[in-house]
Amino acid sequence: MEQLIKIIEESLYELEPGSITGESNVVQLKEWDSLALLTLTDAVDLEFGVLLKKDEIEASGTVLKLHQLILSKQK
Amino acid sequence: MPSSMFEDIAVTASITVVPSKIRNLDEDIDLFDGNKRQLDRLKKTIGFDQRRIADASITALDLCYQAASHLLEQSDIKAKNIDGILFVTQTADHSQPSNASLMHRKLECHSECAAFDIGLGCSGFVYGLWLAHSLIHSGSCETILLLSGDTLSRMVHPKDKTTAPLFGDAGSATIIQKKASSGPSWFRLGSDGTGSDALIVPAGGARYPSSDVTKKETEDEEGAIRTLEDLHMDGSSVFNFSIDVVPREIEALLNFAQVEKNTIDFYVLHQANRYIVQNIGKRLQLDLAKLPVRSFEAFGNVSSASIPAAMSYDLSKILVDSERRQILLSGFGVGLSWGSCILPIESMVCLKWFEYDEAMA
Repeated sequence: MEQLIKIIEESLYELEPGSITGESNVVQLKEWDSLALLTLTDAVDLEFGVLLKKDEIEASGTVLKLHQLILSKQK
Repeated sequence: MPSSMFEDIAVTASITVVPSKIRNLDEDIDLFDGNKRQLDRLKKTIGFDQRRIADASITALDLCYQAASHLLEQSDIKAKNIDGILFVTQTADHSQPSNASLMHRKLECHSECAAFDIGLGCSGFVYGLWLAHSLIHSGSCETILLLSGDTLSRMVHPKDKTTAPLFGDAGSATIIQKKASSGPSWFRLGSDGTGSDALIVPAGGARYPSSDVTKKETEDEEGAIRTLEDLHMDGSSVFNFSIDVVPREIEALLNFAQVEKNTIDFYVLHQANRYIVQNIGKRLQLDLAKLPVRSFEAFGNVSSASIPAAMSYDLSKILVDSERRQILLSGFGVGLSWGSCILPIESMVCLKWFEYDEAMA
């Protein structure tokens, strides 16, 4: 989970470190844009070996649910 | 999956022509609500900088004709010896006749010459090379002129920030010939029609002819404005496709050819953008110095001409010498479709790109 939060913080431009928690909804942050989507997709694939679709990220709601989705896809 | 090996066939000459008009990303700042920092971020991450835009009077046929004329002048190939013309484009002058037929007339080629178009985008150059090799291998042809060019800047809506800053215009000409002792070439091609909506011009063709409805502008949730007659790109799907399929396909090609990764001198990938090219390179653990990317920064994504443009921009001084090299080319895009090949290159007439000269038209 900490690793995913770190990846999200690195993908979102000018985001204050420590501002993401498990309850954050990434796609509703003002820093979220198409470039953030691209870099997050890439980083998640490299770190977790899971290639997420745009719809999946947008529908996940919270970081916690996104993490659960990644883990379920790893199995 | 079509995998092919050919011998005694070589790519002997190539050149790319771009329009002289340059549009800088800074001129598109209104697309990004005047946000200079976002613009700088795009430049740094994606490699956006500038692109070449053809004037309304210049078509892909014009760009490719100037490329072909110059190439024939600078090599020992005569137009009358060309027995195949393949024209890869999605922006042909007319729906009928083909650009290849028009090129045949302009170059005054012999009547014993097959001439036809290939309707592909960013994978099209490799498909064209594969077809040229196949025709020569079958004995049907000995010298093929492959043109690949597009004016995609005209297919995007100027207020669509997801496509407008990306695409430029260019035309290229390449010669493929029967050549003894030139060494083996390997190809792999593929398609996934389930992704056909990821890059699409929805209307203006036979299915949805142009009408007042298809010309109406709409704005999507990201603020991008376009009509149904403009190119629509699902950037996320295209990105996922690129980083998922392309590295796997390149690995499969190397395996098919039994060629070691480090023996390839250059990996010339479709110049979708710098981020994608370098990302594929990192996933394949390649030496990034072997992956040209500068032509994207200079010309933009020039679709089917991007691979020859990268050769013409970055490798023209290298591929001309007599040392035998192996280069790997990989194109991927609309369809979805992809194609990769390993080619032996030796003493190639690989000419530096030049700007379209209206005075010569």
